[in-house]
Amino acid sequence: MVYTQKSPWPFIVGLIMVAYAYSVQSGLMEPVIKFLGTGRHVGEMQTLGYCFGGVALAVGLWQMLVTPREGHADYYLSTIAGVMFIMLVAFIVKWGLDPMMAKWGREARAVLGFNFASILNLNYVVMGIVAGIIIVNVFKVPAWAENGVRLSRLGLKTGVIMLGALYSFAELAQLGQLSVVLIGVFVLGSVWLVLLIGVRQKLPNSMTGVMSSGIGVCGVSASVAAAPVVQAKSIEIAYTIGTVLLFGVVCMFLFPFVGKLFGMGHVQFGAWAGTGILNSAQVAGAALAYQPDGIETLKVAEIFNITRVLFLPIIVVWLAIWYVRREEAAQRHVEKVDVTGVIISKFPVFVLGFILMFLLSSTGIFAPARHYQGAFFDNSDKVMKRVDKRSGKEIDNYLKEKEIAALKKDVEKVKREDQRTALQRLIDGRKIMSEADDATVRGVINAKILSTESNAALTRAHRVVRHTAAKISMFRNLIAWFFTFGLVGLGMQITLSSIRQAGGQPLVIGSIVGVIKAVGSLIVVLLLVHETI
Amino acid sequence: MEDKFDRGSALTIFKNDRAEDFVALGLALAIALLIYLFV
Repeated sequence: MVYTQKSPWPFIVGLIMVAYAYSVQSGLMEPVIKFLGTGRHVGEMQTLGYCFGGVALAVGLWQMLVTPREGHADYYLSTIAGVMFIMLVAFIVKWGLDPMMAKWGREARAVLGFNFASILNLNYVVMGIVAGIIIVNVFKVPAWAENGVRLSRLGLKTGVIMLGALYSFAELAQLGQLSVVLIGVFVLGSVWLVLLIGVRQKLPNSMTGVMSSGIGVCGVSASVAAAPVVQAKSIEIAYTIGTVLLFGVVCMFLFPFVGKLFGMGHVQFGAWAGTGILNSAQVAGAALAYQPDGIETLKVAEIFNITRVLFLPIIVVWLAIWYVRREEAAQRHVEKVDVTGVIISKFPVFVLGFILMFLLSSTGIFAPARHYQGAFFDNSDKVMKRVDKRSGKEIDNYLKEKEIAALKKDVEKVKREDQRTALQRLIDGRKIMSEADDATVRGVINAKILSTESNAALTRAHRVVRHTAAKISMFRNLIAWFFTFGLVGLGMQITLSSIRQAGGQPLVIGSIVGVIKAVGSLIVVLLLVHETI
Repeated sequence: MEDKFDRGSALTIFKNDRAEDFVALGLALAIALLIYLFV
């Protein structure tokens, strides 16, 4: 089979990207950028536009001139056009639709009384996935891009592995303890519940077993890993994957909405999404949809997601024992399965990659070891008062009189002695005075006990003394793009036919347990998880 | 979508999840090396 499709479109996509990057560089796009308020993306518009556009031009030209022959070169090179197609959609959504929708949302507030873009969570992540779903189901992915769309999961996995570089030992220890307890309860609980309902409803043991793993652990890969030990048929795996996918897609759009309704913080929402959503890709989607302009929520969600995957060997052993007992009780012959072999051959290596990246980062090769999460504290005078290189204007980062007045008015609301002392030092010095004070001030911000003005002042005071190491900053940007690519591509794989695979009893049982897990974890997270990280 | 591809599956171009994981690991490590050397 020859995969390369002779089409002028990859070349045209390249032309569009390069032309866009050039018009940004030459200032032609300046009015549009000003209108949309996308000035902070100008750098990446040029870099990514030229890089991806250049590759698309080269590949497009090669595809038009050369007659492809069946083989590895044809197979792998034909994916590049699809990657460019996904990136073009991502560019349009991130630099065009997202700011446009945000602007309309703000302007419509005067008429509607609320910001519809914010309430409906219409950011680039959600719109990217929706764009993908519309493209595949309404217009169809162009034939020349189809092979490349199958690289979206690779993008998500690469993003997860790279994410490992952004954690610190302290953060991982704190989040790890929390996630092991929460995930332990909900994974084991939901596996047990599916087994119980499956037996009561007299579903085949193989179907019940594979579904308990899919609903309990981490969706698709868990279903595939559990399938051999419960001797599941292909159709049963397909039913489970369909159920997980359908439930996950609904959660991906619903979770951020509910999170905003409850005013959840980044740690709370990340913990909830990582526990309550069934599939890794949709966990990332919901976390980024909740906080599209940062990756703090994603980091928390992924720790929970990875902890969940780490439970996979336990579940596989549990299901193996459960299945053999059930089948023997029914006096049916059970074929012997090498459980250890299944665990070794099916355990997702990307989880180990994440840990490897974390260990690499912990050696301090990307940011000095004393830096917390790749960020460092500096409140020296050269930071607080400096001249901007571009405009030549002096920037004064000390707190303004208005901000000091707001804080003085609110300081009585703070009950904890350490927080009040830190605030007093901040008011006296008009800046955060130490790294310890910075951590305390963040606690005050997250506690949301002060007025909006005071919280804004504290947030600004925190931002001006926290600086991100260049290497870590690069990691953050690339991770965000890998996830954007993966999620737009994921949308292009959500076809109606794949959703139709979920049907009948598996869907009912999966949905019941999924809802119990989502609601249960929401209650536990709201009661027990605080914004302490 | 399954019928359209004689290699990989509807979700991936790789022959199995393990191969995809290793490529993702290689890609992430290569990017980390580039960041370490040039940023």
